[in-house]
Amino acid sequence: MAYRAEPPDGGWGWMVVLSAFFQSALVFGVLRSFGVFFVEFVAAFEEPAARVSWIASIGIAVQQFGSPVGSALSTKFGPRPAVMTGGILTALGMLLASFATSLTHLYLSIGLLSGSGWALTFTPTLACLSRYFSRRRSLAMGLALTGVGLSSFAFAPLFQWLLNHYAWRGALLLVSALSLHLVACGALLRPLSLAEDPVVGGPGAQITSLLRHGPFLRYTVALTLINTGYFIPYVHLVAHLRDLGWDPLPAAFLLSVAAISDLVGRVASGWLGDAVPGPVARLLMLWTTLTGVILALYPVAEAPTGLVALTMAYGFTSGALTPVAFSVLPELVGTGKIYCGLGLVQMVESIGGLLGAPLSGKGNKISRWAMAAVFYHGGCRGELI
Amino acid sequence: MRALQGLRGPRAPSLPLLLLCFLAALRRSLEHGLSTAAPFKSLPVQEEMMTKYSNLSLESHNISVTAAPFTSLPVQEEMMTKSSNLSLESHSISMTAAPFTSLPVQEEMMTKSSNLSLESHSISMTVEHSNMPVEKNITLERPSNVELICQFTPSGDLNSVNVTWKKGDKLLEGNYLVNATGGILYTQHRVAVINSKQMGSYSCFFGEKKQQRGTFNLKVPEINGQNKPLITYLGDSVVLMCKCQDCLPLNWTWYGGNGSVQVPIGVPVNDKYVISGKHANETRLKITQLSEDDQGTYLCHAIFELGESEGHVKLVVLSYLVPLKVFCAIAAEVVLLVAAILLFEMYTQKKKKPSDDGKEFEQGEQLKLDDSNGIENSGPRHRKNESVGQ
Repeated sequence: MAYRAEPPDGGWGWMVVLSAFFQSALVFGVLRSFGVFFVEFVAAFEEPAARVSWIASIGIAVQQFGSPVGSALSTKFGPRPAVMTGGILTALGMLLASFATSLTHLYLSIGLLSGSGWALTFTPTLACLSRYFSRRRSLAMGLALTGVGLSSFAFAPLFQWLLNHYAWRGALLLVSALSLHLVACGALLRPLSLAEDPVVGGPGAQITSLLRHGPFLRYTVALTLINTGYFIPYVHLVAHLRDLGWDPLPAAFLLSVAAISDLVGRVASGWLGDAVPGPVARLLMLWTTLTGVILALYPVAEAPTGLVALTMAYGFTSGALTPVAFSVLPELVGTGKIYCGLGLVQMVESIGGLLGAPLSGKGNKISRWAMAAVFYHGGCRGELI
Repeated sequence: MRALQGLRGPRAPSLPLLLLCFLAALRRSLEHGLSTAAPFKSLPVQEEMMTKYSNLSLESHNISVTAAPFTSLPVQEEMMTKSSNLSLESHSISMTAAPFTSLPVQEEMMTKSSNLSLESHSISMTVEHSNMPVEKNITLERPSNVELICQFTPSGDLNSVNVTWKKGDKLLEGNYLVNATGGILYTQHRVAVINSKQMGSYSCFFGEKKQQRGTFNLKVPEINGQNKPLITYLGDSVVLMCKCQDCLPLNWTWYGGNGSVQVPIGVPVNDKYVISGKHANETRLKITQLSEDDQGTYLCHAIFELGESEGHVKLVVLSYLVPLKVFCAIAAEVVLLVAAILLFEMYTQKKKKPSDDGKEFEQGEQLKLDDSNGIENSGPRHRKNESVGQ
């Protein structure tokens, strides 16, 4: 029985980074670009757009809530079987969706089935990644998560092309084939046993010990608060710009700018997280404080240049906090419990995400930004403790 | 972190108030324009009273041309009384040319009642561009009075310019007026457009050394079908839609068919074809149980009082096998990839530890997560992991 004392920090770990890159692309890139399908669904099923967008909401909710299940499975059986099963489930969901005759059919096949597939892939992969790295963990995380941003650029035109040539049924079939590559990514996740593994025990024991771990709980609450504020700017930025008199095309372009700076922020923060000595939690505090400040400035900025600068800064800082947030967890709970830890965190923070967007819809323009800023500050206070 | 959710777009504002203000302003400017006529000496005056059809709209179109000044001309004044529900549309095209001498001038004063809408268009042309045809497209939906005005600024003598009007190739006699004010020659032709016979191309010709021509094309509104072909599958159902931007056709009909034969659809009412339309400016054709024969181009005819207009929708019916083949190809590629990765791993394990006979198979495709499988797997996996970290 040979257990490693230290994570390898390289070697096969870079293949895991590659796998995580493609996985985050296939999970979240597909989710983000699904909007092009929604237009087709509205026309095909003659349902309002609000009902059609529930497909994505159900998918995301299932992915988040199902994360503990994914992490429990990967603790017990290793990440590879869990991710490969998840890949098959996702592809199956999309395949069945191509035969859909009603919107409910789509809720069940894409929302429930593919959502649970995503739940089984995303969390185990990131957890596996953090087990493979310790010194360069943040960088590895940052690189892996760039898959999300890049795939949104690639998949939206690809999906539109598929729709033009095969209509939505054929396009869903081919997206299903695309999602099958998750199985291949899962095959890359060679299991790793670290010294802590026998000590921490099975998933049940891990979860109970985590729930009694003070810092872990505080961290979870902090991340939940951050997650609540995370989507408010993305959801309301375009509306805010249109209120100020911007045309739709420049407003959409500004979103792309935010996406690019988000990408840059992820990698830069990942590199920074490893280069700077000391606990990574301090960096997380830094980024969340900055993001909160930037958001608080939004109601004040009127001039286009100010808004562009603010959006770029917001993209950068919010992208920056993502890899750091994931990197703090292993330091907090140890690499042995990382699967379960991440699963629990994802589940709890999804509550914040679900609440955030509707809550912000209630207030007026200024209160929205203030709310987001408050959430971020709350998050960073959590870190302080 | 989670993915982006859809963005909610803002609501679009409507502009009925602005339109009303615009119309009011235009009406005021028209009355102002008519009253500021150039001064002239005493001239014979002819008064003409014209009775018009009720519920007719008047459209006035100008074509004007830049040129040299001309001398005073006899003026004819015309008074017209109109009934209600009339609209005035005024369009102009201008061209450069040679000057001309005195010509009979007819001025028209029109008094309008409420419900007036006024449209005014002008195109100007210089003598350098006299080779370019000056054309104006006018879209008409309802029967109306159309006034076509050509403005011509000649470079030489005003009197030597010969003015004619043609519809298509036929020369029009009589009812057009010629006016000369301030060096510009105006000619005006009024048409009462009641049915499709009066639609077409009207041209004004200014005969000089080189003949100048301005053309007004009277057309019915265009129908928008769908530019991209609609892709559907066998046994599926589809909705074809034709829409007209700002017009309200009297009736819609659909024609379909392959090649040159156009067969009207929905004439024997059956389940396969359902024609409907939520608003008057659009029509929908729903076709169920698609088959290969339903492929082709469908035409939607919109019937107006003044003619017909049509739009095209192209329908493509595919069989499921088309994307299925691509799916199978990609699935096969994934299987190969997984097999390659797992074999590579086994190979490197075997190379490092040839004596170790523990198998590290995880059959990804047929995974059964039962307990025995799990316990079996965790054992050998731990043994292997020393060599991990290539």
